Amino acid sequence: MIDTSTRLRDEPSYDQSCAMTSGARVPFRLVIGLAVAIALDTGLQLAWKTGIAALPDTSSVGETLVAIALDPIFILVVAFMAAQLVNWLKVLDQADLSYAKPFTSLSYVTVCVLSVLLLGERIAPLQIVGIIVVVAGVWCVSRTRRTTLSAEREGE
Amino acid sequence: MSPTAFGVLLVVVSTMVEGLGQVSLKKSSLDTRRRLGWILLGIVILMVEIVLYSGALRFLAVSTAFPLTSLSFVMVTLLSRWLLGEEVAPLRWVGVGLILVGTSLIVAQA
Repeated sequence: MIDTSTRLRDEPSYDQSCAMTSGARVPFRLVIGLAVAIALDTGLQLAWKTGIAALPDTSSVGETLVAIALDPIFILVVAFMAAQLVNWLKVLDQADLSYAKPFTSLSYVTVCVLSVLLLGERIAPLQIVGIIVVVAGVWCVSRTRRTTLSAEREGE
Repeated sequence: MSPTAFGVLLVVVSTMVEGLGQVSLKKSSLDTRRRLGWILLGIVILMVEIVLYSGALRFLAVSTAFPLTSLSFVMVTLLSRWLLGEEVAPLRWVGVGLILVGTSLIVAQA
């Protein structure tokens, strides 16, 4: 209960937030949180991709685990995961899970684009279609109310 | 059951487990008295998901398994509705459907 009131007071006022639709205003903090979630997810996946490729070719599970533990890229992956969790919990404090989670699909887009730009992979025409469809989907979700549980929370 | 079917089943179960893990993390912000408990439960559930998905990769090629993980967007939405009571507006469902198709198209080629 006390926590709820603090959270409401923390909420940025209307002029600080960007209005997506009438009735669905998105606080700047949430926009940043979602952007950070996508960025961390992208970094994680790219690090994972390059890390897996660099692993020594061995059939022993033990040797693979040791190689993973010693590889700086995997230490980076763990650090990214921890940051991801902390940021994601902050995002979930401000929005429905069913509102926030779809935004993370944009990391499929950023990973695809960065794989082309940084890793020199080729992009297929169907992937371009996929990117457009994902962006359209996220746009739809962004037009919905970001929180539907506030009444329940106040009732606690 | 063929190995491929078993692999597909494991991936589908892992996307459900992802949904449960996410619900648990969201619970931590709704049930603040047990915040830490929900967070730890969420982390454990998400670790189970990794184990299930890794297991699935023994039976499936990554090129088959990875597109299937897009189902997690549907699972999370369903479980948000069923377990958390979130209202999923029709437009949100349309968005999730587009995301399911779009992410599958992106990774199916990779």
